[in-house]
Amino acid sequence: MEAAGVAPAVDARLLDGVRGGDQQAMTEIFDRYGRMVYSVALRVLQDPGHAEDVMQEVLLKVWREPQTFLEGRGSLGAWLAVMARNRAIDGLRRRRPAETVDDVVLVSKTNLASEFERSSMIEKVRGVLKGLPLEQQASMELAYFEGLSHSEIAARTGDPLGTVKTRIRAALTSLRKALEA
Amino acid sequence: MDGGHIAQEDLALFAMHGCSEEESAAVRSHVKECAACRAELEKVSGDLAVVAMSVEQHPLPEGARQRFIERISAAPATLGKATQAPVISIGREQTRRPLVWIPWAAAAALALIAITLGVEINSLNQRLQSESNQLAELAAANAHAQEVLEVLTAPAAQRVVLTAGKAAPAPSARAVYLAARGGLIFQASNLGPLPEHKAYELWVIPANGKAPIPAGLFWPDAAGSANLVLPKLPVGVPAKAFGVTIENAEGSPWPTTPIILAGAAPTS
Repeated sequence: MEAAGVAPAVDARLLDGVRGGDQQAMTEIFDRYGRMVYSVALRVLQDPGHAEDVMQEVLLKVWREPQTFLEGRGSLGAWLAVMARNRAIDGLRRRRPAETVDDVVLVSKTNLASEFERSSMIEKVRGVLKGLPLEQQASMELAYFEGLSHSEIAARTGDPLGTVKTRIRAALTSLRKALEA
Repeated sequence: MDGGHIAQEDLALFAMHGCSEEESAAVRSHVKECAACRAELEKVSGDLAVVAMSVEQHPLPEGARQRFIERISAAPATLGKATQAPVISIGREQTRRPLVWIPWAAAAALALIAITLGVEINSLNQRLQSESNQLAELAAANAHAQEVLEVLTAPAAQRVVLTAGKAAPAPSARAVYLAARGGLIFQASNLGPLPEHKAYELWVIPANGKAPIPAGLFWPDAAGSANLVLPKLPVGVPAKAFGVTIENAEGSPWPTTPIILAGAAPTS
């Protein structure tokens, strides 16, 4: 495990290399985040082949357009995870890939580029999600990993729209509390 | 909206790409003006990023790393050094500079690309035309050679040996040999029938005095005619003479019987 504060510097150095066309730097980014990106896509798509397609696409985007990741607006790992999730959802819902603007992960209070902080946060989030009431877990699952809108969740579950929104709000609040603790 | 602000769950929905186009446009428009919602959207986006990162980790499919390396190797390196593209920032005002030169620069670049492509296409067309002409010449030469070969070797071809007087034609043969290519065409006429399990065998007698080289077995047809066309021979062996013997049907590495037909190659 890398010491806190080392990972952001490593990512910045690797991104500098990628901007200069350094294939070795890009390969190191793949080694650092490829598995996570693949796992996110697999979680959504449930298909190894399609998940690899998404993983390749997301990481190739870093190679081809490294400027789309703006340092200071989130960690590279978080950005890649969100990109993978969004691309996988687009594939799942047969949607045209969305614009980059919505892929950008905005500044988080937590420094997710630090391996130490990242591992700690991930463990916390896993614990929180598992501890949520089943209805909240289901709503978050449908919203985040199946890409359904609130009304689609309501239609799927048969619950009123207001109830779905309340569950999602409650889940997000629990999550926020855990992350800020 | 909740008291003039967007509800957290709706911001989350926006961050998860769950809004319609109209809803997304409304959220973008609002967070651009509302600092509180902008801050909340940032937090929600960060929270959801951790949700994504918290999924159970799975090993990569076999060969995925190598496939990725191959893909970045195939991509032009200049793509990795792409110039800074403008990235739209939600709710963050950007200082905009006049970019009136961009259309002109783009037009100039396109014109340059068009000229370069035009020159390249012209060059390729010329090469294509030249190669097409060569191909046509080769095809014509090949057709002519094929026609010659078919006439020489066709079973239905009438082979006539012209002699003086009314004497019965004796066995004879004609060899055309090109030592530089090891190419040989051989035609025999008026050959007598062979004993059972026997074959005629042609020999190239090298000019350097070395042992005769077997040049192929052949069996005459009912009229006594036979051909050997381009038997496998070493390249670059000038011949002093050619000979034919009768050997066992499987052939022999050297002549074992007297030569029944022989002809000396003219010296150059």
